[in-house]
Amino acid sequence: MAHDQTSTTDRRKILLGLGVAAGGALTSGLAVQEAGANDKQVTDAPESHRTDVEQSVPFYGLHQAGVVTPRPANGMLVSLDVIADTPVDFEKMMRKLTERIVFLTQGGTPPELDPKLPPADSGILGPIIQPDNLTITVGLGNAMFETRPWLKRLKPRHLQQMTQFKNDALDAELCHGDLSLQFCSNTADTNIHALRDILKNMPEYLVPRWKQEGSVPTVLPEADGTVPSARNFLGFRDGSANPKSNDKPMMDEIVWVAEGHDEPEWAVGGTYQAVRIIRNFVERWDRTPLGEQQRIFGRKKMSGAPMDGVKETDIPNYANDPDGKITRLDSHIRLANPRTAESRKNLILRRPFNYSNGITKNGQFDQGLLFIAYQSDLERGFITVQSRLDGEPLEEYIKPIGGGYFFVLPGAREAGDYLGRKLAEAATADPSTRS
Amino acid sequence: MKRHFVAATALAVAFGYAGVAYAEDEDSKLVEPLAAYKSFVADHTEKLLENTTKFTEAVKAGDIAKAKELYAPTRMDYETIEPIAELFSDLDHTIDARADDFEAKEKDPKFSGFHRIEYGLWDQKSTKDVVPYADQLLADVKDLNHRIENLTFPPETVVGGAAALMEEVAATKISGEEDRYSHTDLWDFKANFDGSKKIYDLVRPLIEKDHADFVKKVDGDFKVVDDTLAKYKTANGYELYDKLSDEDRKVLSAKVNALAAELSTLRGKLGLN
Repeated sequence: MAHDQTSTTDRRKILLGLGVAAGGALTSGLAVQEAGANDKQVTDAPESHRTDVEQSVPFYGLHQAGVVTPRPANGMLVSLDVIADTPVDFEKMMRKLTERIVFLTQGGTPPELDPKLPPADSGILGPIIQPDNLTITVGLGNAMFETRPWLKRLKPRHLQQMTQFKNDALDAELCHGDLSLQFCSNTADTNIHALRDILKNMPEYLVPRWKQEGSVPTVLPEADGTVPSARNFLGFRDGSANPKSNDKPMMDEIVWVAEGHDEPEWAVGGTYQAVRIIRNFVERWDRTPLGEQQRIFGRKKMSGAPMDGVKETDIPNYANDPDGKITRLDSHIRLANPRTAESRKNLILRRPFNYSNGITKNGQFDQGLLFIAYQSDLERGFITVQSRLDGEPLEEYIKPIGGGYFFVLPGAREAGDYLGRKLAEAATADPSTRS
Repeated sequence: MKRHFVAATALAVAFGYAGVAYAEDEDSKLVEPLAAYKSFVADHTEKLLENTTKFTEAVKAGDIAKAKELYAPTRMDYETIEPIAELFSDLDHTIDARADDFEAKEKDPKFSGFHRIEYGLWDQKSTKDVVPYADQLLADVKDLNHRIENLTFPPETVVGGAAALMEEVAATKISGEEDRYSHTDLWDFKANFDGSKKIYDLVRPLIEKDHADFVKKVDGDFKVVDDTLAKYKTANGYELYDKLSDEDRKVLSAKVNALAAELSTLRGKLGLN
């Protein structure tokens, strides 16, 4: 302690000395810095802001939140196995899950229990749970339907187990599952708190299978007020050509299952969720010439503009470039979205997060993209787009290792309703499961 | 620091647990279940000593087949009384540690006890290196027996033991890592569940009136576990762990966690701190 104080004093003397030597302007700058350093402690927590923690996304509606909702800074995708052998169990589980999600996303005060009992809440967010912009989005996987005779008949038409694409190296321990929970909020702690709350309250129904957390880097708005897309861990802006999630007719066209889609009636208002854990070989990428990186993506790295444009929002004109002299024919963006009348029906809404896990056994960074995409038709959407990307030059730098396909349930309409109600009712109504 | 701890322990022992602050009637209600549990533990430690003697004799005689046959049933008595056995952490470490508890894993000479011998029998297919560990195991089990005889059973530990057993299974057993060379994990599971259920059954009469829903739920969960394990019963014990289907493993995992959550309220429901 005494030693610390001495060195601080010494440092101040040196700083003051420098200030005097350098003139008044510098002195005042240093004085401010010193004062700032003195009234803050290392133990002081970084401050949050009321406007952030009180941000809440409505839960009830035609659709679940967390799909067309703007991404907050932190996301987490958890896949779980479900223990529910009968429609009655399934209904109980979904009611309980809905109850937890309503509480967690809208906020509230957990009950105080007798201190002789374990507390109702983990306490990691303190005595009051603020919404903190949290959404929790529930999807059901292929296995949920296939392993339960009373659900099998009701499986969404395009739901299937994710199969391996050409460049995939799928790790069985990071794939598939009965149920997906997507958590998105302003802080990683809010997501973790919510996950722990759900597991603590529902251990008899849910067994976690795999989990991936990620984040979206914050970006400064441009001088003209527009906000560019966030960058992925390859340094490129991700989402430049994403359909506008606030354009309702467009979302109805691309994302949401509607009447007339030849899907089970209960599925209307839902959407298909494609999740992919895509490792990026960032060391090798960072050792690749910039020009090559840009040719592989088909965009300019810093601005995000297409090869024939100047700003991110510019639309590439492939008609003028049939041979790929400007934007390579096998570049990522051109394969993913050729921008033809035909390819319009393959549009998907991407909602990814960057992840950074640790070090691989080869001593490289385990970083990549937690890719999440939504579409009303899984085959016409993600599966078609990914099939077009098979063999793209970017594959040299990326390796999908996990993920799965899930069907995001339609929204709960109002208080008293619960997620999956129509599915539970349809399963109960099936005469073959009545016993 | 150490002296402080010893003094506190001595005080607790001297005053018995009557001095601890919980209601008098709650205390007296527990006398009977605690006595019953103590005799349950005594039966198991006695059997543990008997079986460990036979097991270590087989190991020392180089009779690998017989030693393998005796390994899993011998462990069961230890696993049943784990909440009490674990109170003696030095012995738990020498009797039941796993290779993971040592940085050098199986190569560490301090890796001893059941799992070291298991490693010899199944992985090394030899008793050559494990004879000293067999001697040590028998000596440790004798020591454990002696220490348990002289132990005042702390009510919080006993009642809390029901949940603690489930927490152990949930955190470090469900993956099949416990008996990784022999894959006799289901024997251990059975013993852990029985040990947990015994404690619950002993205190159940004290709570069934006030907590009817709770009792119904816990009874139901234990039954699912029992029924699931029963599917894997063989003439002499249990199937190897890799025979356990994914579906049943999920069910066991969910029930273990559900029971851990439910039984974590047992102490509070009995007014214990």
